[in-house]
Amino acid sequence: MSAVAEERSGGLGLIRRRTRQRRAETFDRPRFLWIFTILMLVFLFVPVLVVILYSFNGQPSLVVMRGFSTQWYHEAITSGTWRGSLEVSIEIALVTMAACAVGGTLLAFGLDRANRHLARASESMLVLRLVSPETATAVASLLLFTQLGLTLSSETIVIAHIAVCLPFVAIVVRSRLALVNPELEDSAMDLGATRLRAIWLVVMPLLWPTLAAASMLCFVLSFDDFITSLFTSGVGTPPLPVRIYSMLRTGVTPVVNAIGVVMMLIAGGALIVALSMMRVGRSRSSLS
Amino acid sequence: MNRGRLIWAGFTLPGALTLAVLFIAPLTMIVLYSFGTVDFIGRPQFGHSLDNYRQVFESAYVPVLWRTLFYAAITTAICLVLAYPLAYCTTQFAGRFGHVIIGAIILTWLVDYLVRIYAWYAILDDGGLLNGGLARLGIPRFHVLPGTPAVLAGLVYGYLPLTILPLYAALTNLDRTIIEAGKDLYGTPRKTFWHVTLPTTRPGVIGAVILTFFPALGDFATAQFLGGPNQSMIGNLINSQFTDSGSVTFGSALTMVLLLALVVLLGGGFALRRLGSRRTTTRPVPNLESIGASS
Amino acid sequence: MSSEAQASLQSVTKNFDGAIAVDDLSLEIMRGEFLSILGPSGCGKTTTLRMLGGFLIPDVGEIFLGGVNVTGVPPYRRDVNTVFQSYALFEHLDVADNVAFGLRRKRVGKPEIAKRVGEMLDLVGLRERARAKPAELSGGQQQRVALARALVNMPAVLLLDEPLGALDLKLRREMQIELKRIQREVGVTFVFVTHDQEEALTMSDRIAVMNHGKLQQVGRPAEIYEAPVNEFVAGFIGASNLLPGTVTGGHVALSGGVQMRLDGSRASAFRDGEEVVVSVRPEKLTITQPTPDTWVHVDGRIVDVVYLGAATNVTLEAGGDLHLLAIEFHASGRQQDRLAPGTEVAVSWDPEDALVLSNSRQVADDPPPQPKET
Repeated sequence: MSAVAEERSGGLGLIRRRTRQRRAETFDRPRFLWIFTILMLVFLFVPVLVVILYSFNGQPSLVVMRGFSTQWYHEAITSGTWRGSLEVSIEIALVTMAACAVGGTLLAFGLDRANRHLARASESMLVLRLVSPETATAVASLLLFTQLGLTLSSETIVIAHIAVCLPFVAIVVRSRLALVNPELEDSAMDLGATRLRAIWLVVMPLLWPTLAAASMLCFVLSFDDFITSLFTSGVGTPPLPVRIYSMLRTGVTPVVNAIGVVMMLIAGGALIVALSMMRVGRSRSSLS
Repeated sequence: MNRGRLIWAGFTLPGALTLAVLFIAPLTMIVLYSFGTVDFIGRPQFGHSLDNYRQVFESAYVPVLWRTLFYAAITTAICLVLAYPLAYCTTQFAGRFGHVIIGAIILTWLVDYLVRIYAWYAILDDGGLLNGGLARLGIPRFHVLPGTPAVLAGLVYGYLPLTILPLYAALTNLDRTIIEAGKDLYGTPRKTFWHVTLPTTRPGVIGAVILTFFPALGDFATAQFLGGPNQSMIGNLINSQFTDSGSVTFGSALTMVLLLALVVLLGGGFALRRLGSRRTTTRPVPNLESIGASS
Repeated sequence: MSSEAQASLQSVTKNFDGAIAVDDLSLEIMRGEFLSILGPSGCGKTTTLRMLGGFLIPDVGEIFLGGVNVTGVPPYRRDVNTVFQSYALFEHLDVADNVAFGLRRKRVGKPEIAKRVGEMLDLVGLRERARAKPAELSGGQQQRVALARALVNMPAVLLLDEPLGALDLKLRREMQIELKRIQREVGVTFVFVTHDQEEALTMSDRIAVMNHGKLQQVGRPAEIYEAPVNEFVAGFIGASNLLPGTVTGGHVALSGGVQMRLDGSRASAFRDGEEVVVSVRPEKLTITQPTPDTWVHVDGRIVDVVYLGAATNVTLEAGGDLHLLAIEFHASGRQQDRLAPGTEVAVSWDPEDALVLSNSRQVADDPPPQPKET
């Protein structure tokens, strides 16, 4: 395919040149790629649309759709069991988020500044934790709790969730920290701040956007988490995904779809908050 | 500054403690229990027995192990093939719209995992949407549930967003000038893709593979709801060990096998990568005559 | 430490992972002076500055500020401020808040802060940009904010770590003049680190030349230029022809059979057989002009000619393997043609314009050899 420019100037030559350009460009935007993309998006969305559709099912079936009803949403919102689980899910997610925000930031500083060997070893452990199948890590948490003689409850779920989310927050914050000019801290100390004050006044403002976003993602991860919650829940109200699981095994109605939609909206809201915080951070500071 | 050292120890300490508690300790537990035995009441004890591991590799369970590897590998392969063009199109041609597309994809992922799997039930079941639609067209039903294709479809669906995101990140940062240079050098877009684009995005592909394959290895909910006994994965086995009727020690051994698979495959992957990069540095410059001849 | 000294380093040594960065450095910094620490990359000048600032603790030796031993004292308790190479401005604060930062740490009262910040911004000419964020400023403006931020605290010593490195040439020259003006106006002691010898010569009251962690020479710019104490200083400051040779009986034998007489006082300073380096500045070489017999005469050939506008660089090969650089200033605008490459010419210089240097010499407190009057 050549892109030889037409020597001829003027009207006809211009048109010929433009058509040749456009033909070359369509090669850059092959239509089949777009069709494929659209098909893929359809593939991704159809089940979600099915979920939404069936959440309005007039009859209590997850397979056959007939009629229209909002009873499932009604049940989801008013039922004590579902409300209880929603509250538990949100509580767990909030506590996990708070703990991971603090712990993850401290860990990020540790990774950034500690003795190189220690830092690298710790980082490998964190990455390993991140890529491990959740089933394995959930089992590990369960065994630890059993060994320590802890009763499984919301508290144990929180601890297990922290174990899941902490590496993520630590690594994300650490990446941002590595981009911060080390002379900033020196400068603040030079001007009279102790090292801790210096970090608080000068480095943390640069980390807030990243930390906020990571925390929000932490919330979503904990809120949506199923496997770890399943293995580490015990007495007390189970979080939403676990309750959905037990319902799927016993007898299911479209109320799970309604719950699914509600969860999607809550998690989606958290995600939007995270994204807007990142955008605020980006407009505020150039990388220094 | 000596004082500084202490302060950094202070920072690392909570993190290190957490790591010790949340990583090392649990891992140790799995190891210990996997060598353990069961006392006369049925409570698990630490021990020195290899019985659990022997049980894992018993004829009944070995197919499950291979099946799990097989499913995870196929899922990863399919996800890659589907995700790459999607990510490519979204980053290169969609412009502003690309953000919307990715946002929408993430949104689908936010629907509870189980609910999404169960949506496939609605679609694939004998009385469900797919068969209902086919029936209207006069095509005989596909009995898909429960079965392997359904499980694979569910796995692919569940993990596709995890494959898309790293590829999206890698392709967003793709330098267009490199592609232009590649086009000059290689002539056709297809060759450019193979010789320039793919290698440049290799880190993203590797990330996508890691984020898809290993979590998929441990999956159990998909196989549980969309498949039958012939579709069990190691995750299903593990899960059943930790309910009332199972064996903690056996479950620990199974988990250890899963983790060992992770370590071996990840380590093998790194070794391959180091070999691969050595090869690329000695790859000869493309023959200039052949380029002229083909274009 | 003498009474005039604002600060001093005494026998300071610093190692990093076994490599010596600063080697037994002793230096006094006088009150109110503009001292430059000059040297090539890796010579230890930044390490020295950081030790003055309190960011590094010397392994050996002590550091004094205003007569007080501050060797282990952290930066936030030293009456020293630093202008960093990267400026290190706080991006999330505006210019005024940046400048006020140090005052706020000291809990200075609000009206006082406003007054001093205003004065400092006037001094650096940035009053109208007080509310701007650093990202909105140009490189030169950011540099001035960094200066204001440090200076507003009126430290005993102001440390500047190659602050002009990131600026383009014209801006650099302007800032050099600005910095000198501000220093004179405010009267604060400046310690200025640079690798650019021209910069050091232009701005400094005194220059401390360092190499491989050791102090080579300290003195006024004219002293450093006219009377370098060893081969390194001679070669580093300004251009110089450095000709190795051996002392034999009242002469220095250079390569290619060229001999240079040593007169009485100099002859006694060297032993026979000692290896020395003769340093002759390019502007002291004369080409093809009649010169007195006492001068050294060498036959040579022009290898390259570079026209510089106000002058011409002439590279010559002479007497075997002497490579010489001469510079001819176009005072009366003649003679381009006689300086063509390939021309055989006679090169000469006055031995009194040449320095004879022995490499074993470095200066701490020895008075430098007096430059000869011509």
